[in-house]
Amino acid sequence: MKAKLPRPRWLWLGAPAAIVLVLPLVASSAFAIDIFVRVLLFAFIGVAWNLMGGYAKQLSLGHAAYFGLGAYTSTILLIRFGVSPWIGMLAGGVVAMLASLPIGALCFRLRGPYFAIATIATAQVLMLLFLKFRDFAWGAEGTTMPNLGNAPLMMQFDAKAAYYYIALALLAIGLVITYRIERSWMGYYLVAVGEDEDAAEAIGVDTLRIKRHIYMISAFLTALAGTFYVQYIYFIDPNTAFSFNVSVEAALVSIVGGIGTLWGPVVGTVLLEATSALLQSWLGSGHGGVQLTVYALILIAVILWRPSGLVGVLTDAYACVVQARPAKKEALLDG
Amino acid sequence: MLETLAQAVVNGLLIGGIYALVSIGVTLIFGVVKIVNFAQGEFVMIGMYISFFLATRFGIDPLLSLFISMPVLFVVGVLLQHFLIRRVLALGDMPQIFLTFALSLLLVNVALLLFTADYRTVETSYSETAIHLGGIYVPVAKLIAFVVAMALSGTLWVFLHSTDLGKAMRAAAQNRDVAMLMGINPDRVFCVAVGVALALAGAAGSLLMPFYPAYPMVGQVFVLMAFVAVVLGTLGNVTGALIASLMMGVAESLGIQFVGADSGLIVVFLMLLLTLALRPSGLFGGWTR
Repeated sequence: MKAKLPRPRWLWLGAPAAIVLVLPLVASSAFAIDIFVRVLLFAFIGVAWNLMGGYAKQLSLGHAAYFGLGAYTSTILLIRFGVSPWIGMLAGGVVAMLASLPIGALCFRLRGPYFAIATIATAQVLMLLFLKFRDFAWGAEGTTMPNLGNAPLMMQFDAKAAYYYIALALLAIGLVITYRIERSWMGYYLVAVGEDEDAAEAIGVDTLRIKRHIYMISAFLTALAGTFYVQYIYFIDPNTAFSFNVSVEAALVSIVGGIGTLWGPVVGTVLLEATSALLQSWLGSGHGGVQLTVYALILIAVILWRPSGLVGVLTDAYACVVQARPAKKEALLDG
Repeated sequence: MLETLAQAVVNGLLIGGIYALVSIGVTLIFGVVKIVNFAQGEFVMIGMYISFFLATRFGIDPLLSLFISMPVLFVVGVLLQHFLIRRVLALGDMPQIFLTFALSLLLVNVALLLFTADYRTVETSYSETAIHLGGIYVPVAKLIAFVVAMALSGTLWVFLHSTDLGKAMRAAAQNRDVAMLMGINPDRVFCVAVGVALALAGAAGSLLMPFYPAYPMVGQVFVLMAFVAVVLGTLGNVTGALIASLMMGVAESLGIQFVGADSGLIVVFLMLLLTLALRPSGLFGGWTR
């Protein structure tokens, strides 16, 4: 039985990978590529959130803080010092990592809902501060990115497809990191913290240290997404960079897809963004509120009926199919 | 200088009364049901829209519509507890946090669909009037709101301390298992706690209407304040939430007066972060006896 599994498994991974790679070549409309970029980007943010929120169950609602720090670090470096956003992206990641230390030190004192509230507050404080930095960071008006034409070294491209591949690469990095962590001692520690923090502490897990480490990794990755996003839309202001919606969506896609699973955020983003794109083409874009109303209903449905998310549904369905097959054969033989 | 200071303190206390109604609701639900209601602000919003429509369609004064918004939201609260919250009580943090969070998202966006993002205001005969005490200017609408808010808080305190149901609620908050052994029906107590909390939010909405615009996102201002007040005033402590709300109203007002118009929230959030750093269990003890 075990020896037979690899072939379908490669198919399961290989076929979607091939489709994902050629997608921008087939889909030529800018609208479609824009949706794909959004899917990849939010899946990536979800993956970053899931490392901490999913595995260690530290339910942050303030990941916009790191998204914004990443966005502002690279933008300030680009506009004030002419540094390429490729370098700025990494610098932003480091800034976010460093920022996660004091923020974590404060917020990790709290558990459950109050951890979530404290993280909301930190993201809000950062947004309010950047609204005040008028001379240094353009205040509430924000700024547009200097348009350098097609400058791959400055992360600016004429072809939309280029952004697609960057976002795809980010997502792949996020997934590989999650895959590695999931199978390392750290992954087991994280799950232990997520299941029962006191019990984990009692058996000798340094819970504070493990939470600090995963928060740093999660913040670093989220900051990369921030840089990419402002380079993609050519604009930055505090309301975009520290948008509460980023924090919400990061958590939402992971929960809907399957919290604490490798593919959960990806599955969740595909479902939510596909719904949103369908709604948009069906109703037009003039109906503020429809998209989030539907998101909220999906979220409530998932929480009440399948807290393990869609990945749980899919694996159950898969298990059903796999188990049903031999049973069928036996039935046939009997008959 | 002294006059500006006194004026800022008065402004803060007046709005702090409204914060108190919201945060007492949050802390009551947390104390009894052990759930943080992220949607509490949205029920303030619903209270405001109820008062707005009663005022514009039927000419009912927003303060009188208190007698409609409070019972309506009480019923909504009982239904919310019975049909939604009850189902996640045995589950972990994630469903408990994100159920009410999703509800908040839902209510804001349904309101956006139904009422658009426009600001709605109600003009009353007392909206613009104010009394002068010494050099201090006290708007009548805010003064009424503050007095009613304090009266409602006091009524709740009496209810919690001198009625059987109130005592049952406090018992369930102190120790749910023992309370159940003593014959308290937790389902009933939980329904009443959520109902009362939502009724307070509805009251806050009606009281705000004469001087504050209603719009779908209005709840977020109040719920953030309430969360800070609830942490500051020790989770589950009703008196603590009341005092902390008044303190925060004053802190916000002083921030606006002396740091800058956009600094009120920064001051409040810094208070939260400072409290978390220095005294994470809040300023007050456990559940008030």
